[in-house]
Amino acid sequence: MSQHQAGLAGRYMQMKSEQFRYGWQKAKNNKVCYLFLAPYALLFFTFFILPIGTSIFYGFTYYNILEPARFIGLQNYINLVLQDEVFLTSVKNTFVIAVITGPVGYILSFMFAWFINELPKWLRAIAVVIFYAPSIAGNAYSIFSIIFRGDAYGYLNSFLMNTGLIDAPILWLTNPQYIMPVLIIVILWMSMGTGFLSFVAGFQGIDKSMYEAGYVDGVRNRWQELYHITLPSMKPMLLFGAVMSITSAFNVCDVPRALAGFPSTDYAARTVVTHLFDYGFSRFEMGYASAIATLLFLVMILCKKFISAALEKVGT
Amino acid sequence: MSNKNNYKSNGTLTLKGKKYRGELIAEERLAKFISKKMTIEMPYPDIAVLKNVRNGGMASTITIKMADGTEYVYYLPNGLKVYHYMDQQWDNRPRSMSRADELHRLAELRGERIQKPRKHLFKRRHPNRSLGGDIGIYLMLAVVAFAMAFPLIFAIGSSLKPLDELFRFPPTVFPKHPTLDNFSDLIVTMGQSWVPFSRYILNTVFITAVGTFGHLIIASMAAFVLAKYDFPGGRFFFTVVTTALMFSGYVTGIPNYVIMSKLNMIDTYWALLLPAFAAPIGLFMMKQFMEGLPTALIEAAKIDGANEFRIFWSIVMPNVKPAWLTVIIFSVQSLWNTSASTVIYSEAKKTLVYALQQIQAGGIARTGQAAAVTVVVMAVPIAIFILSQSQILETMASSGIKD
Repeated sequence: MSQHQAGLAGRYMQMKSEQFRYGWQKAKNNKVCYLFLAPYALLFFTFFILPIGTSIFYGFTYYNILEPARFIGLQNYINLVLQDEVFLTSVKNTFVIAVITGPVGYILSFMFAWFINELPKWLRAIAVVIFYAPSIAGNAYSIFSIIFRGDAYGYLNSFLMNTGLIDAPILWLTNPQYIMPVLIIVILWMSMGTGFLSFVAGFQGIDKSMYEAGYVDGVRNRWQELYHITLPSMKPMLLFGAVMSITSAFNVCDVPRALAGFPSTDYAARTVVTHLFDYGFSRFEMGYASAIATLLFLVMILCKKFISAALEKVGT
Repeated sequence: MSNKNNYKSNGTLTLKGKKYRGELIAEERLAKFISKKMTIEMPYPDIAVLKNVRNGGMASTITIKMADGTEYVYYLPNGLKVYHYMDQQWDNRPRSMSRADELHRLAELRGERIQKPRKHLFKRRHPNRSLGGDIGIYLMLAVVAFAMAFPLIFAIGSSLKPLDELFRFPPTVFPKHPTLDNFSDLIVTMGQSWVPFSRYILNTVFITAVGTFGHLIIASMAAFVLAKYDFPGGRFFFTVVTTALMFSGYVTGIPNYVIMSKLNMIDTYWALLLPAFAAPIGLFMMKQFMEGLPTALIEAAKIDGANEFRIFWSIVMPNVKPAWLTVIIFSVQSLWNTSASTVIYSEAKKTLVYALQQIQAGGIARTGQAAAVTVVVMAVPIAIFILSQSQILETMASSGIKD
């Protein structure tokens, strides 16, 4: 028995070493590939992979750039959860923003890309520009500070007062009750980004004969067509769009800072990233900020895993 | 894109006595010959005579005489179907019968009454669409498009308003007496800044140009081997890049600040340029687009003895121009909009967007100028997008993540 096992283990080792030799041979034959990859890989490692390691490392320390880092174990994480009420507010806000703008922005991007796809070509080109423009228009969102201004000169206030819906101006950007809905509207306005473009291109790439075949086989309306033909052929774009949605949903930072002020009233517009900025670049508590960044990295990677698993099931 | 009407064949081309080996592709509107040395595109309307090609038939030799008298002779071992765009019989090309046609024919044979399709008021472009649904969707699109465009229109309107209209009650969207005063005031304010304003512009142009160029070269090199070679670690590396698409500058900002301060890069342009060189989105787009290139192109060049650098530089790069443009645009967008306030401290090294944001932060008195700034900053990326929309969409068609 043991001899048999030893034989198996030996065979396994032999197989492994053969695999390794084969891989090594392949790597040697493709030496030049690594040469091509090297410049990018080096920079990518330094500025995108190393930060994860760095933030995990400094997350366990007290570090303020000037003094050398001092190891304090889990203290940063304990403080985050047990003492930092503002952090909990920011997590709640980020969660609300991500849960609403992520999926809604994603679905809206997809729906509008779908609707736009049926327009004539010239109209489609114009519509794509109109829908995509807000996400690339630099800091054009700052115009919302005029639209939502708290006094009677604000566009929305004067509009509502003229129509008689309200009789005193509402402090849209300073009243904690209204800040979040306003932010969500602005972020949704900007949510038709790279993912939307990918969807538009994906729709144009679907083979038209599949729709004809579907029609013959009894697909009777646009919704059946969407579920049985369009969605399955768009899976790669759907995953790409999802990655882009997660990115924008979790990285909300500029919009609340520009509209609600920094810090905002009662921290009503505080998000995890603005919290991170506050500790990192205003107070230079890099250790504490790193702990926050580590948590963010973790949540993002988990989200992507979850979504690619969910998309496996679409349209089957 | 649909390849249904594209036909390809490898073969040899004789042109003025010289022979070239490569691939002939017949598309709906033009024929292309791609070889290591050259790419010829022949739109069918320019072709005077196209010999040896029958509708739906195969040909092993094709002679194409162009309107300007040049003659191309192709020898194709696999043959090639070419439908002449100008051909009168393009519409009569043989078609396979669809299942609907077949059922129709059988029903006719059995003598059954065939229900004629109802005539619609509007010509339907697509089956499976109800008229009510179409109208509803168009209405909704119009409303949402208006809502999307409104803030931008409002910004442009505000930038053209004279001072008294900016604070009028009730506020208006369009100015009654449009004026460019805000823009000229902006130029005056720019002239008063401590560092000459041209310096900010120069900084941004420098960062954008160098960052984009370096990113294009470095990312394309990596994308080329990831797309076209199978080597250990390649696939894993790409999966990591795909995950890193999610890490925006905000999350990596803090750890990157620590790394850069260890590398003594704070307050130098390297702190902006090096991360921009390695932006994952550029590599991602480039790699996905390069996967669509025919491998035969690279194989042919390899047989002819070209090394990897020549293949990359003179065969792959010229063939992925739409992807260049997309990579350039994503890179320009992010670099142009960078305010870099966290890693650059010297006033003389700050960027244009930073300087404009300072003007914008000048309070109520500068409301008009602030709107002008918004218009200036948003005009550049939107203008670039409008000009290059079709190429960007061509690249985005291959943007999906395949698991």
